[in-house]
Amino acid sequence: MTVAQPIAAAHTRPFLGKIGIRGRERLINIVAYVLLLVAIVIVFFPLAWMLTVSVRPNIEVMRMPPEWLPQVFTLEGYRKIFASPRYLLVFANTMVISLLVTVLSLILGAMAAYALARFKFAGQRAVLMFLITTQMFPLVLLCIPYFRIFITLGLYDTRTSLVIVYLTFTLPFCILMLRSYFINIPRDIEEAAMVDGCSRLGAIFRTLVPMSYPAFIGAGLYTFLLAWNEFLFAVVLIESWENRVLTMAIYSLMAEFVTDWNTMMAFSVLASLPLVMAFIFLQKFMVQGMTAGALTS
Amino acid sequence: MLLTLKRKYREEVLAASFLWPSLLILVALLIYPLIDVVRLSFHDSNLQREVWVGFGNYIALANDPLFWRAFWQTVVFTFFSVLLHLVIGLGLALLLNMNLDPAFRTVARGLLIVPWLLAPTVAGMIWVLMLQPFGVLNGLLASLGFIDANFTISWLGDPATALGSVTAMNVWRAFPFFMVMLLAGLQAIPKQLYEAAEIDGASLFRQFWHITLPQLRGVITTIVLLDSIWTFRAFDPVYVMTGGGPAHASEVLATAIYFDGFQKLKFGYASAEAVVMFIVLFIVSAIYVRRTMSNQQ
Repeated sequence: MTVAQPIAAAHTRPFLGKIGIRGRERLINIVAYVLLLVAIVIVFFPLAWMLTVSVRPNIEVMRMPPEWLPQVFTLEGYRKIFASPRYLLVFANTMVISLLVTVLSLILGAMAAYALARFKFAGQRAVLMFLITTQMFPLVLLCIPYFRIFITLGLYDTRTSLVIVYLTFTLPFCILMLRSYFINIPRDIEEAAMVDGCSRLGAIFRTLVPMSYPAFIGAGLYTFLLAWNEFLFAVVLIESWENRVLTMAIYSLMAEFVTDWNTMMAFSVLASLPLVMAFIFLQKFMVQGMTAGALTS
Repeated sequence: MLLTLKRKYREEVLAASFLWPSLLILVALLIYPLIDVVRLSFHDSNLQREVWVGFGNYIALANDPLFWRAFWQTVVFTFFSVLLHLVIGLGLALLLNMNLDPAFRTVARGLLIVPWLLAPTVAGMIWVLMLQPFGVLNGLLASLGFIDANFTISWLGDPATALGSVTAMNVWRAFPFFMVMLLAGLQAIPKQLYEAAEIDGASLFRQFWHITLPQLRGVITTIVLLDSIWTFRAFDPVYVMTGGGPAHASEVLATAIYFDGFQKLKFGYASAEAVVMFIVLFIVSAIYVRRTMSNQQ
């Protein structure tokens, strides 16, 4: 019965029948290219709009009908940002905090991942379940106690507080991702190094760490992205301008200068640039980190 | 004998010393605050003083129409976000998985991932700009003749469209996660399955229904569960774009908890709301954890 189908199909669809299987495949392929190009145009429209608004004067932003290209080209928005020590400090803060979180998560995460991948001990399953569950925690729930605790500790409105609380979501991710990578590296390699006279730590640093560099880069990039883009904890724990991070500064800009879209979009472009640049050069690792984030088994 | 015993013991100590720093940090950052929130939810608290009220906060909550409104709006926001992520992500993954030029595929995938790199704050602000009454979306609709240029739509200011607008932004920003995961899933399906179906003369639709979908079931379940949890707890998109307004028309649980706690200073009540949210998320997480753990053993 199933064999008869293509013949029937050829009869009922004379056009597709005439151009043949080859032609049909090419037609479908052309449709795929066209649809993908349309999707790219739609998806990129908001990004392109951000870019053009960042280089046009504010009077050109709200025109009906819209001007697709800036009539007057200006870098006023970018100039304002680079002339303001306050804004530059926000970039420096975000960079330092994100880098610190990434380094801490990778070091602590690699240690814990190693213990989970290489040793058998009581409660191992419980630890794994706990780590997976932490990734589903409602972060807004943590805000209330964090706010109280950091006031008590005298750490409210400090950049240190952000480095600490960002570990709540970056550390479990790093542990799980590195563990899943370590498990697939045969332990014989380490043992061989140990037979050759390395200590266990020496063996780890000479074999396991260099061999799992893709996992370190992937987990590191994803951790950096999470820290760089975080907003809720920053809103709750930071008050003064000198301790602010990017996401928060952008929000304050929106509240303060409701109509200065030019500066706000320039700020958005600059805030997104490091991640986009990292992505262009390290797409493979980043996609790995992204998929591993969900399938941490 | 003694030497091997000592050596074995040393390894256990090593394992423990590798694991404990991370575990201590996570217990301090997650378990202690959770206990604190549950305790606080039975109190009336404005941070200065705490009064025991038993289940008072929970009773008030059950009778609070605003809480239920936020709850159902969170459900609607989550449902449509996840559904559209899945439909768009699957469509684009299928297109990318076709017989395309490999370089084109890599570039197209890379370009389509970019929205996902942006902070929800930045993405939200771009959309706030586009959705202004005289913004580019209305301009586009007016020049295409869909709306009258003199009666533009206030997308974020109208209760009828506010939540939908936030959902649209969230769909745009987060669909790449589904696309990447599903593309990885598609590439893992053995080619022979399709070859056999081709010989049997199965149409493309039948191949999709009987081979592709069943093979993707595992990935789809995982990412739908994860995305549901992440969207249900989302704070940034709503807070940045509408602040929950107008008149609570786009209020979700995360923003309701934040406003009750940090603006109205009803920390006990906000904690009770957070506990309810935690219970809902915990049930979904339990399903996810069970799946992941059974994949692991």
